[in-house]
Amino acid sequence: MSLKRVVITGIGVVSPFGPGLEPLMLGLKGGQSTTRYMVGWDQYTGLQSLVGAPVEDLDEKRIPRQKRRSMGRMSIFAAYAADEALLDAGITLASEDLWKVGCVIGSSMGSAKSINDAFETMLPDKDLSRLNSTMFFQCMSHTAAVNTAQYLGLVGTVMAPAAACASALHSIGTAYDLIRLGRQDLVLCGGAEELHPTVTGSFDILFATSTKYNDSPEQTPRPFDRDRDGLVCGEGCGILILEEYDRAIKRGARIYGEVTGFSTTASGLHVSQSNRDSMVVCMQQALSEAAITVKDVDYINAHATATIQGDMEEAEAVRELFGDKVPISSLKGNLGHTLGASGAIELAATLKMMEEGVIYPTLNLENIAPDCEGIQHVMEPVKKKVRTILKNGFAFGGINAAIVCRSL
Amino acid sequence: MTEQEIIEKTNRVFEDSFEIEPDRLNPEAHIFIDLGLDSLDIVDLIVALQSSFGIKIRTDEKVRDIRTLGDVYRFIATIKNGEQAE
Repeated sequence: MSLKRVVITGIGVVSPFGPGLEPLMLGLKGGQSTTRYMVGWDQYTGLQSLVGAPVEDLDEKRIPRQKRRSMGRMSIFAAYAADEALLDAGITLASEDLWKVGCVIGSSMGSAKSINDAFETMLPDKDLSRLNSTMFFQCMSHTAAVNTAQYLGLVGTVMAPAAACASALHSIGTAYDLIRLGRQDLVLCGGAEELHPTVTGSFDILFATSTKYNDSPEQTPRPFDRDRDGLVCGEGCGILILEEYDRAIKRGARIYGEVTGFSTTASGLHVSQSNRDSMVVCMQQALSEAAITVKDVDYINAHATATIQGDMEEAEAVRELFGDKVPISSLKGNLGHTLGASGAIELAATLKMMEEGVIYPTLNLENIAPDCEGIQHVMEPVKKKVRTILKNGFAFGGINAAIVCRSL
Repeated sequence: MTEQEIIEKTNRVFEDSFEIEPDRLNPEAHIFIDLGLDSLDIVDLIVALQSSFGIKIRTDEKVRDIRTLGDVYRFIATIKNGEQAE
Protein backbone atom coordinates (compact mmCIF):
# COMPACT_ATOMS: atom_id res chain seq x y z
CA MET A 1 0.00 0.00 0.00
CA SER A 2 1.45 3.33 -0.99
CA LEU A 3 1.19 6.13 1.51
CA LYS A 4 -0.79 9.21 0.57
CA ARG A 5 0.73 12.66 0.51
CA VAL A 6 -0.44 15.18 3.08
CA VAL A 7 -0.66 18.95 2.68
CA ILE A 8 -1.65 21.84 4.93
CA THR A 9 -4.50 23.86 3.43
CA GLY A 10 -5.85 25.92 6.31
CA ILE A 11 -4.66 27.74 9.41
CA GLY A 12 -6.53 29.06 12.42
CA VAL A 13 -4.95 30.64 15.46
CA VAL A 14 -5.81 32.16 18.79
CA SER A 15 -2.60 33.51 20.27
CA PRO A 16 -1.63 36.03 22.93
CA PHE A 17 -1.74 38.55 20.06
CA GLY A 18 -5.49 37.85 19.88
CA PRO A 19 -7.76 35.73 17.76
CA GLY A 20 -6.60 35.24 14.18
CA LEU A 21 -3.51 34.51 12.13
CA GLU A 22 -3.17 38.11 10.98
CA PRO A 23 -2.63 39.65 14.46
CA LEU A 24 -0.08 36.92 15.15
CA MET A 25 1.94 37.70 12.04
CA LEU A 26 1.68 41.44 12.59
CA GLY A 27 2.91 40.99 16.16
CA LEU A 28 5.86 38.91 15.02
CA LYS A 29 6.65 41.33 12.23
CA GLY A 30 6.59 44.20 14.71
CA GLY A 31 8.84 42.36 17.14
CA GLN A 32 6.25 42.75 19.88
CA SER A 33 6.07 41.01 23.23
CA THR A 34 2.83 39.72 24.71
CA THR A 35 4.19 39.14 28.21
CA ARG A 36 2.23 40.97 30.91
CA TYR A 37 2.37 41.35 34.66
CA MET A 38 -0.49 39.17 35.88
CA VAL A 39 -2.59 41.15 38.32
CA GLY A 40 -3.73 39.06 41.29
CA TRP A 41 -1.15 36.30 40.96
CA ASP A 42 0.75 37.69 43.95
CA GLN A 43 -1.94 36.19 46.22
CA TYR A 44 -0.38 32.76 45.60
CA THR A 45 2.20 32.13 48.28
CA GLY A 46 5.40 30.78 46.80
CA LEU A 47 4.63 31.76 43.20
CA GLN A 48 7.72 33.61 42.04
CA SER A 49 6.82 34.17 38.39
CA LEU A 50 4.12 36.82 38.11
CA VAL A 51 4.16 37.18 34.33
CA GLY A 52 2.17 35.51 31.59
CA ALA A 53 1.08 35.87 27.97
CA PRO A 54 -2.73 35.88 28.07
CA VAL A 55 -5.27 35.95 25.25
CA GLU A 56 -7.48 39.01 25.41
CA ASP A 57 -10.46 40.33 23.43
CA LEU A 58 -12.30 37.09 22.79
CA ASP A 59 -16.07 37.18 22.46
CA GLU A 60 -16.97 33.71 23.70
CA LYS A 61 -20.71 34.32 23.28
CA ARG A 62 -20.22 33.94 19.55
CA ILE A 63 -20.45 30.22 20.33
CA PRO A 64 -24.04 29.09 21.08
CA ARG A 65 -24.64 28.46 24.79
CA GLN A 66 -25.38 24.75 24.53
CA LYS A 67 -22.12 24.20 22.64
CA ARG A 68 -20.22 26.59 24.92
CA ARG A 69 -21.43 25.24 28.28
CA SER A 70 -19.03 22.27 28.17
CA MET A 71 -16.11 24.41 27.04
CA GLY A 72 -13.42 25.72 29.29
CA ARG A 73 -11.28 28.57 28.04
CA MET A 74 -9.03 26.33 25.95
CA SER A 75 -11.95 24.76 24.11
CA ILE A 76 -13.29 28.19 23.26
CA PHE A 77 -9.88 28.99 21.78
CA ALA A 78 -10.06 25.74 19.82
CA ALA A 79 -13.53 26.44 18.44
CA TYR A 80 -12.43 29.90 17.35
CA ALA A 81 -9.28 28.60 15.69
CA ALA A 82 -11.16 25.74 14.00
CA ASP A 83 -13.66 28.19 12.50
CA GLU A 84 -10.84 30.32 11.13
CA ALA A 85 -8.96 27.31 9.77
CA LEU A 86 -11.98 25.97 7.89
CA LEU A 87 -12.74 29.40 6.47
CA ASP A 88 -9.11 29.82 5.47
CA ALA A 89 -9.15 26.42 3.75
CA GLY A 90 -12.36 27.21 1.93
CA ILE A 91 -13.99 24.09 3.31
CA THR A 92 -17.71 23.81 3.93
CA LEU A 93 -18.32 20.85 6.21
CA ALA A 94 -21.88 20.40 4.93
CA SER A 95 -20.47 19.20 1.62
CA GLU A 96 -17.91 16.80 3.14
CA ASP A 97 -18.17 13.10 3.90
CA LEU A 98 -17.94 13.75 7.63
CA TRP A 99 -16.91 10.18 8.45
CA LYS A 100 -13.63 11.03 6.71
CA VAL A 101 -13.07 14.29 8.59
CA GLY A 102 -11.11 13.96 11.83
CA CYS A 103 -10.31 16.21 14.75
CA VAL A 104 -7.05 15.70 16.67
CA ILE A 105 -6.32 18.37 19.25
CA GLY A 106 -3.97 17.85 22.15
CA SER A 107 -3.22 19.69 25.37
CA SER A 108 -1.25 19.12 28.53
CA MET A 109 -4.42 18.65 30.55
CA GLY A 110 -8.06 19.70 30.64
CA SER A 111 -9.07 23.29 31.25
CA ALA A 112 -6.86 24.51 34.08
CA LYS A 113 -9.34 27.10 35.32
CA SER A 114 -12.20 24.62 35.27
CA ILE A 115 -10.17 22.03 37.18
CA ASN A 116 -9.25 24.65 39.74
CA ASP A 117 -12.85 25.88 39.99
CA ALA A 118 -14.17 22.33 40.40
CA PHE A 119 -11.92 21.61 43.35
CA GLU A 120 -12.48 25.04 44.90
CA THR A 121 -16.23 24.41 44.69
CA MET A 122 -16.14 20.87 46.00
CA LEU A 123 -13.38 20.64 48.57
CA PRO A 124 -13.99 23.31 51.22
CA ASP A 125 -17.15 21.53 52.48
CA LYS A 126 -16.55 18.25 50.62
CA ASP A 127 -19.85 19.00 48.91
CA LEU A 128 -20.51 17.75 45.38
CA SER A 129 -23.99 19.24 45.11
CA ARG A 130 -22.69 22.60 43.91
CA LEU A 131 -20.91 21.14 40.86
CA ASN A 132 -22.58 21.94 37.57
CA SER A 133 -23.32 19.36 34.90
CA THR A 134 -20.63 20.32 32.43
CA MET A 135 -17.65 20.74 34.74
CA PHE A 136 -16.33 17.29 33.91
CA PHE A 137 -16.48 18.00 30.18
CA GLN A 138 -14.32 21.08 30.72
CA CYS A 139 -11.83 19.20 32.90
CA MET A 140 -11.32 16.00 30.92
CA SER A 141 -8.06 15.60 29.03
CA HIS A 142 -9.66 15.43 25.58
CA THR A 143 -11.83 18.48 26.21
CA ALA A 144 -10.54 20.63 23.32
CA ALA A 145 -10.84 17.85 20.74
CA VAL A 146 -14.27 16.73 21.90
CA ASN A 147 -15.73 20.21 22.22
CA THR A 148 -14.42 21.23 18.81
CA ALA A 149 -15.83 18.08 17.22
CA GLN A 150 -19.20 18.64 18.93
CA TYR A 151 -19.22 22.29 17.94
CA LEU A 152 -18.60 21.46 14.29
CA GLY A 153 -20.56 18.21 14.18
CA LEU A 154 -17.53 16.11 13.27
CA VAL A 155 -17.95 12.34 13.38
CA GLY A 156 -14.65 10.97 12.10
CA THR A 157 -11.60 10.20 14.22
CA VAL A 158 -11.49 12.37 17.34
CA MET A 159 -8.32 12.06 19.40
CA ALA A 160 -6.39 14.09 21.95
CA PRO A 161 -2.70 13.31 22.29
CA ALA A 162 -1.50 14.52 25.67
CA ALA A 163 2.24 15.08 25.74
CA ALA A 164 2.56 18.38 27.58
CA CYS A 165 4.43 20.86 25.40
CA ALA A 166 4.74 18.38 22.52
CA SER A 167 0.98 17.77 22.38
CA ALA A 168 0.34 19.87 19.28
CA LEU A 169 3.13 18.27 17.27
CA HIS A 170 1.91 14.85 18.36
CA SER A 171 -1.54 15.84 17.11
CA ILE A 172 -0.22 17.03 13.78
CA GLY A 173 1.90 13.88 13.46
CA THR A 174 -1.13 11.75 14.25
CA ALA A 175 -3.25 13.60 11.69
CA TYR A 176 -0.46 13.14 9.14
CA ASP A 177 -0.54 9.39 9.74
CA LEU A 178 -4.35 9.21 9.60
CA ILE A 179 -4.30 10.78 6.15
CA ARG A 180 -1.18 8.97 4.92
CA LEU A 181 -2.84 5.68 5.78
CA GLY A 182 -6.09 6.65 4.06
CA ARG A 183 -8.15 6.53 7.24
CA GLN A 184 -9.20 10.18 6.98
CA ASP A 185 -9.27 12.64 4.07
CA LEU A 186 -9.15 15.78 6.14
CA VAL A 187 -8.13 16.40 9.74
CA LEU A 188 -8.36 19.49 11.91
CA CYS A 189 -5.35 19.17 14.15
CA GLY A 190 -3.28 21.12 16.62
CA GLY A 191 -3.14 22.00 20.27
CA ALA A 192 -4.78 24.18 22.88
CA GLU A 193 -3.82 25.38 26.32
CA GLU A 194 -4.82 28.02 28.82
CA LEU A 195 -2.97 30.24 31.22
CA HIS A 196 -3.65 29.90 34.92
CA PRO A 197 -1.53 30.58 38.00
CA THR A 198 -1.63 26.90 38.89
CA VAL A 199 -0.14 26.04 35.49
CA THR A 200 2.67 28.55 35.86
CA GLY A 201 3.02 27.27 39.41
CA SER A 202 3.72 23.74 38.23
CA PHE A 203 6.83 25.04 36.43
CA ASP A 204 7.59 27.60 39.12
CA ILE A 205 8.13 25.04 41.87
CA LEU A 206 10.69 23.34 39.60
CA PHE A 207 12.56 26.65 39.13
CA ALA A 208 11.73 26.56 35.41
CA THR A 209 9.90 29.91 35.19
CA SER A 210 11.16 33.42 34.61
CA THR A 211 11.19 35.27 37.92
CA LYS A 212 13.55 38.21 37.48
CA TYR A 213 11.46 40.25 35.07
CA ASN A 214 8.20 40.73 36.96
CA ASP A 215 8.78 44.49 36.77
CA SER A 216 9.80 44.48 33.08
CA PRO A 217 7.64 41.75 31.52
CA GLU A 218 8.41 42.58 27.91
CA GLN A 219 12.04 41.58 28.49
CA THR A 220 11.16 37.94 29.15
CA PRO A 221 11.26 35.12 28.10
CA ARG A 222 14.73 35.31 26.55
CA PRO A 223 15.36 32.13 24.52
CA PHE A 224 19.06 31.32 24.01
CA ASP A 225 20.07 34.58 25.75
CA ARG A 226 22.81 34.94 28.33
CA ASP A 227 20.31 36.47 30.75
CA ARG A 228 17.47 34.00 30.25
CA ASP A 229 15.94 32.82 33.49
CA GLY A 230 13.09 30.54 32.53
CA LEU A 231 9.85 30.25 30.64
CA VAL A 232 6.72 32.41 30.65
CA CYS A 233 3.45 30.57 30.26
CA GLY A 234 1.08 31.69 27.55
CA GLU A 235 -2.18 30.38 26.13
CA GLY A 236 -4.03 29.90 22.90
CA CYS A 237 -4.71 27.38 20.19
CA GLY A 238 -3.41 26.55 16.76
CA ILE A 239 -5.43 24.48 14.30
CA LEU A 240 -4.11 23.29 10.96
CA ILE A 241 -6.18 21.66 8.25
CA LEU A 242 -4.29 18.64 6.97
CA GLU A 243 -5.65 17.25 3.74
CA GLU A 244 -4.89 14.46 1.34
CA TYR A 245 -2.79 15.91 -1.50
CA ASP A 246 -4.81 14.76 -4.52
CA ARG A 247 -8.12 16.08 -3.24
CA ALA A 248 -6.48 19.37 -2.24
CA ILE A 249 -5.11 19.76 -5.77
CA LYS A 250 -8.43 18.73 -7.30
CA ARG A 251 -10.36 21.39 -5.45
CA GLY A 252 -7.71 24.02 -6.16
CA ALA A 253 -6.85 24.57 -2.50
CA ARG A 254 -4.22 27.02 -1.37
CA ILE A 255 -1.39 24.86 -0.04
CA TYR A 256 0.81 26.23 2.72
CA GLY A 257 3.13 23.26 2.60
CA GLU A 258 3.45 19.51 2.50
CA VAL A 259 4.15 17.52 5.63
CA THR A 260 6.99 15.23 4.63
CA GLY A 261 8.45 13.99 7.89
CA PHE A 262 7.51 13.47 11.49
CA SER A 263 9.25 11.81 14.38
CA THR A 264 8.80 11.53 18.10
CA THR A 265 11.25 10.00 20.55
CA ALA A 266 11.65 9.83 24.31
CA SER A 267 14.74 10.22 26.45
CA GLY A 268 14.01 7.40 28.87
CA LEU A 269 16.35 9.13 31.27
CA HIS A 270 14.69 11.88 33.25
CA VAL A 271 11.14 13.09 33.72
CA SER A 272 11.93 16.80 33.50
CA GLN A 273 15.41 17.27 32.04
CA SER A 274 15.78 17.63 28.28
CA ASN A 275 18.20 15.30 26.55
CA ARG A 276 20.20 16.24 23.47
CA ASP A 277 20.92 12.70 22.24
CA SER A 278 17.26 11.77 21.94
CA MET A 279 16.56 15.19 20.36
CA VAL A 280 19.20 14.50 17.71
CA VAL A 281 17.67 11.13 16.87
CA CYS A 282 14.22 12.71 16.72
CA MET A 283 15.31 15.39 14.25
CA GLN A 284 17.34 12.86 12.21
CA GLN A 285 14.37 10.53 11.91
CA ALA A 286 12.09 13.35 10.77
CA LEU A 287 14.63 14.36 8.10
CA SER A 288 15.07 10.75 7.07
CA GLU A 289 11.34 10.24 6.65
CA ALA A 290 11.27 13.38 4.52
CA ALA A 291 14.13 11.87 2.48
CA ILE A 292 16.29 14.96 2.94
CA THR A 293 19.56 15.81 4.62
CA VAL A 294 20.52 18.65 6.93
CA LYS A 295 21.65 20.64 3.88
CA ASP A 296 18.07 20.79 2.61
CA VAL A 297 16.67 22.54 5.68
CA ASP A 298 16.26 26.32 5.25
CA TYR A 299 14.99 27.20 8.70
CA ILE A 300 14.54 25.61 12.11
CA ASN A 301 11.76 26.85 14.34
CA ALA A 302 13.08 26.02 17.78
CA HIS A 303 11.20 24.82 20.81
CA ALA A 304 13.50 26.98 23.01
CA THR A 305 11.42 28.23 25.92
CA ALA A 306 14.22 30.13 27.70
CA THR A 307 14.84 27.60 30.43
CA ILE A 308 18.51 27.23 31.30
CA GLN A 309 18.79 23.53 30.62
CA GLY A 310 16.26 23.10 27.81
CA ASP A 311 17.72 25.80 25.56
CA MET A 312 21.22 24.49 26.09
CA GLU A 313 20.24 20.92 25.18
CA GLU A 314 18.37 22.02 22.07
CA ALA A 315 21.24 24.28 20.97
CA GLU A 316 23.71 21.43 21.42
CA ALA A 317 21.47 18.99 19.55
CA VAL A 318 21.01 21.43 16.66
CA ARG A 319 24.74 22.21 16.63
CA GLU A 320 25.59 18.53 16.45
CA LEU A 321 23.31 17.98 13.46
CA PHE A 322 23.38 21.28 11.58
CA GLY A 323 26.40 23.17 12.89
CA ASP A 324 25.90 26.86 12.17
CA LYS A 325 24.57 26.34 8.68
CA VAL A 326 20.82 26.72 9.23
CA PRO A 327 18.98 29.78 10.61
CA ILE A 328 17.13 29.07 13.84
CA SER A 329 14.80 31.18 15.97
CA SER A 330 12.28 30.73 18.74
CA LEU A 331 8.97 32.60 18.77
CA LYS A 332 8.54 32.25 22.52
CA GLY A 333 10.09 35.65 23.12
CA ASN A 334 6.96 37.03 21.47
CA LEU A 335 4.34 34.50 22.52
CA GLY A 336 5.52 33.04 25.77
CA HIS A 337 5.23 29.29 26.01
CA THR A 338 1.76 28.29 24.93
CA LEU A 339 2.56 24.74 26.09
CA GLY A 340 0.33 22.17 24.41
CA ALA A 341 -0.64 24.75 21.78
CA SER A 342 2.88 25.94 21.01
CA GLY A 343 3.74 23.42 18.30
CA ALA A 344 0.69 24.33 16.24
CA ILE A 345 0.77 28.11 16.75
CA GLU A 346 4.47 28.25 15.98
CA LEU A 347 4.21 25.91 12.99
CA ALA A 348 1.39 28.09 11.66
CA ALA A 349 3.64 31.15 11.95
CA THR A 350 6.52 29.23 10.38
CA LEU A 351 4.37 28.26 7.38
CA LYS A 352 3.44 31.92 6.93
CA MET A 353 7.12 32.90 7.15
CA MET A 354 7.82 30.30 4.46
CA GLU A 355 5.08 31.80 2.31
CA GLU A 356 6.29 35.37 2.86
CA GLY A 357 9.99 34.57 2.44
CA VAL A 358 10.99 36.05 5.75
CA ILE A 359 12.36 34.65 9.01
CA TYR A 360 11.49 36.45 12.21
CA PRO A 361 14.11 36.58 14.95
CA THR A 362 14.15 35.40 18.54
CA LEU A 363 12.78 38.33 20.52
CA ASN A 364 14.88 39.25 23.57
CA LEU A 365 17.92 37.41 22.25
CA GLU A 366 20.50 40.16 22.74
CA ASN A 367 23.58 38.30 23.92
CA ILE A 368 23.90 34.70 22.84
CA ALA A 369 24.56 32.55 25.87
CA PRO A 370 27.89 30.70 25.75
CA ASP A 371 26.05 27.40 26.15
CA CYS A 372 23.86 28.20 23.13
CA GLU A 373 26.59 29.28 20.71
CA GLY A 374 27.60 27.55 17.49
CA ILE A 375 24.24 27.64 15.76
CA GLN A 376 22.94 30.28 13.35
CA HIS A 377 20.74 32.42 15.60
CA VAL A 378 18.39 34.78 13.82
CA MET A 379 18.60 38.11 15.65
CA GLU A 380 17.08 40.41 13.02
CA PRO A 381 14.36 39.72 10.46
CA VAL A 382 15.91 37.94 7.48
CA LYS A 383 14.50 37.86 3.97
CA LYS A 384 15.15 34.42 2.58
CA LYS A 385 13.56 31.90 0.27
CA VAL A 386 12.46 29.18 2.62
CA ARG A 387 11.46 25.92 1.01
CA THR A 388 11.92 23.40 3.81
CA ILE A 389 11.44 23.90 7.53
CA LEU A 390 11.97 21.84 10.64
CA LYS A 391 9.78 22.48 13.68
CA ASN A 392 10.88 21.19 17.06
CA GLY A 393 8.78 20.54 20.14
CA PHE A 394 10.09 19.12 23.40
CA ALA A 395 8.18 18.30 26.55
CA PHE A 396 8.28 17.23 30.15
CA GLY A 397 8.44 13.49 30.39
CA GLY A 398 11.46 13.40 28.08
CA ILE A 399 9.24 13.66 25.00
CA ASN A 400 10.68 15.00 21.74
CA ALA A 401 8.86 15.72 18.50
CA ALA A 402 9.95 17.15 15.17
CA ILE A 403 8.11 17.81 11.95
CA VAL A 404 9.36 18.66 8.46
CA CYS A 405 7.34 20.64 5.94
CA ARG A 406 8.23 21.87 2.48
CA SER A 407 6.66 24.37 0.15
CA LEU A 408 5.21 23.14 -3.16
CA MET B 1 -41.13 34.92 50.42
CA THR B 2 -43.80 36.39 48.14
CA GLU B 3 -44.93 34.86 44.88
CA GLN B 4 -43.48 37.83 43.00
CA GLU B 5 -40.10 37.41 44.70
CA ILE B 6 -40.03 33.74 43.71
CA ILE B 7 -40.88 34.59 40.09
CA GLU B 8 -38.22 37.28 39.87
CA LYS B 9 -35.51 35.15 41.45
CA THR B 10 -36.36 32.12 39.32
CA ASN B 11 -36.42 34.20 36.15
CA ARG B 12 -33.00 35.59 37.03
CA VAL B 13 -31.69 32.00 37.19
CA PHE B 14 -33.00 31.37 33.67
CA GLU B 15 -31.51 34.62 32.39
CA ASP B 16 -28.11 34.18 34.04
CA SER B 17 -27.61 30.44 33.69
CA PHE B 18 -29.29 29.80 30.34
CA GLU B 19 -29.07 33.22 28.66
CA ILE B 20 -32.82 33.32 27.97
CA GLU B 21 -34.33 36.70 27.14
CA PRO B 22 -36.75 38.00 29.83
CA ASP B 23 -39.67 38.32 27.38
CA ARG B 24 -39.64 34.56 26.80
CA LEU B 25 -40.05 33.83 30.51
CA ASN B 26 -43.77 33.29 31.01
CA PRO B 27 -45.38 30.69 33.27
CA GLU B 28 -46.71 28.63 30.35
CA ALA B 29 -43.27 28.27 28.74
CA HIS B 30 -42.26 24.61 28.53
CA ILE B 31 -38.70 24.45 29.81
CA PHE B 32 -37.59 21.83 27.26
CA ILE B 33 -39.67 22.73 24.20
CA ASP B 34 -39.98 26.50 24.51
CA LEU B 35 -36.89 27.43 26.49
CA GLY B 36 -34.57 24.82 24.94
CA LEU B 37 -33.18 23.23 28.08
CA ASP B 38 -31.99 19.63 28.01
CA SER B 39 -31.04 16.97 30.56
CA LEU B 40 -27.68 18.58 31.37
CA ASP B 41 -29.36 21.94 31.87
CA ILE B 42 -31.72 20.42 34.42
CA VAL B 43 -28.72 19.48 36.56
CA ASP B 44 -27.54 23.08 36.35
CA LEU B 45 -31.05 24.39 37.02
CA ILE B 46 -31.12 22.39 40.25
CA VAL B 47 -27.68 23.66 41.28
CA ALA B 48 -28.67 27.26 40.52
CA LEU B 49 -32.05 27.07 42.28
CA GLN B 50 -30.41 25.49 45.34
CA SER B 51 -27.88 28.31 45.45
CA SER B 52 -30.37 31.06 44.74
CA PHE B 53 -33.07 29.97 47.23
CA GLY B 54 -30.90 28.23 49.83
CA ILE B 55 -32.77 24.97 49.43
CA LYS B 56 -31.86 21.32 48.78
CA ILE B 57 -33.85 19.75 45.95
CA ARG B 58 -31.38 17.44 44.24
CA THR B 59 -33.01 14.28 45.57
CA ASP B 60 -36.59 15.62 45.58
CA GLU B 61 -38.57 13.35 43.26
CA LYS B 62 -41.05 16.16 42.49
CA VAL B 63 -38.35 17.77 40.35
CA ARG B 64 -39.15 15.12 37.74
CA ASP B 65 -42.70 16.47 37.37
CA ILE B 66 -41.57 19.94 36.34
CA ARG B 67 -42.49 20.80 32.77
CA THR B 68 -43.19 24.54 32.63
CA LEU B 69 -41.73 27.63 34.19
CA GLY B 70 -44.95 27.93 36.19
CA ASP B 71 -44.23 24.43 37.58
CA VAL B 72 -40.86 25.73 38.79
CA TYR B 73 -42.48 28.73 40.53
CA ARG B 74 -45.01 26.45 42.27
CA PHE B 75 -42.38 23.88 43.23
CA ILE B 76 -40.21 26.55 44.85
CA ALA B 77 -43.23 28.17 46.54
CA THR B 78 -44.25 24.84 48.08
CA ILE B 79 -40.79 24.37 49.55
CA LYS B 80 -40.41 27.95 50.78
CA ASN B 81 -43.95 27.99 52.24
CA GLY B 82 -43.19 24.68 53.93
CA GLU B 83 -40.12 26.24 55.50
CA GLN B 84 -42.23 29.13 56.82
CA ALA B 85 -44.86 26.74 58.26
CA GLU B 86 -42.11 24.96 60.17
